[in-house]
Amino acid sequence: MQRRKLQRWNNALHRDLGYLFFGMTIIYAISGIVLNHFKSGAFKHPDYSKSFWEFTVSRPADGKITKSYIDNVLKEAGEEGHYKSHIFSDNSLQIFLTTGSITIDLASGSAYQEKKQTRYIIKEFNLLHYNNIKKAYTWYSDIYAVALILLAITGLFILRGKNGILKRGAWLTAIGIIIPALFILFYA
Amino acid sequence: MIKKNSFIAVISLIFAYACTQGTRESAEKQLSDTVKLTVASFLTAAPNYVNKPVQILGTVSHTCKHGGKRMFLVDENDSISVEITTGPDIAKFDEALIGSRLRVFGILKEERIDEKYLSEWENEILKPQPNHNVGVHTGAKGHVDQTSQDKLDQIAAYREEIKKSGKDHLSFYSVEAINFEELK
Repeated sequence: MQRRKLQRWNNALHRDLGYLFFGMTIIYAISGIVLNHFKSGAFKHPDYSKSFWEFTVSRPADGKITKSYIDNVLKEAGEEGHYKSHIFSDNSLQIFLTTGSITIDLASGSAYQEKKQTRYIIKEFNLLHYNNIKKAYTWYSDIYAVALILLAITGLFILRGKNGILKRGAWLTAIGIIIPALFILFYA
Repeated sequence: MIKKNSFIAVISLIFAYACTQGTRESAEKQLSDTVKLTVASFLTAAPNYVNKPVQILGTVSHTCKHGGKRMFLVDENDSISVEITTGPDIAKFDEALIGSRLRVFGILKEERIDEKYLSEWENEILKPQPNHNVGVHTGAKGHVDQTSQDKLDQIAAYREEIKKSGKDHLSFYSVEAINFEELK
């Protein structure tokens, strides 16, 4: 009787936590894949997709950087209306845009443009995954972490019989522990 | 019931407003009391204000993509850059800040690089696993993609600088941001 009651509580807890944290699990899973791979290939930034190309622009008259010269460059690059600010050093000018930046070699006129686009939704998922919000979210994500532990433990005891923790479940659980242990053993 | 809930909501709003006002006023007062630095004057002025509140104006030239914990301010010429790190109340510096002109309010920090620090850094580099958290973050383009040899060369250069300075360390200054505002 006592055992049946415990089983009911176990299943109910697993079910309700599963419903409650479905959203968080999907967010962490998607963001986890993104953060795992953001350094490979052209995938340089987790929150922004970036493209790069080179072109040539006219050089400034008398070597002076003026607002009209910058306007001309933006016109040539098709980036009018996206200007934020600019900085320069001896031989180069960097124009910051709301959509990226353009770096110009003032001696040769060769320009290098970086164009970025926000990965909406993924950016917000990463914000949560990195806990870049802090404040009360730290507590909420701690609650989620505890809920994951409870989900894992209660998940072990949902079924009984040949698919339960004492038979098939024991093997699968053991494999699930051994795999990360092997990674630590061979790679850490 | 509705009446009771409305009463609680109104009290909460008044309380929240009062708290925000208090915080804002004290932050504004703090802001007006602090010394104002520029990117150009930063290096010469910094030794006088270590661990003191400062405010600094500049254009964001770079944010670190590894969690956005650092950004660099420059003035119109990028020959000098000032490192700004996140304080406890700032989670990250978003890359969208690049190119924005900011007023940053924070605490000026000094990091001393001596032989012990350089030896530890060297040992970390010689380990097979890359570790982004050690070393000096200069904000220079490509500093994140430095090879081990580049870092070892940098360490050698710092050793040379320490020797030339006649001191047993080099000082690097940064500002730990408490808050910042974007200037239009």
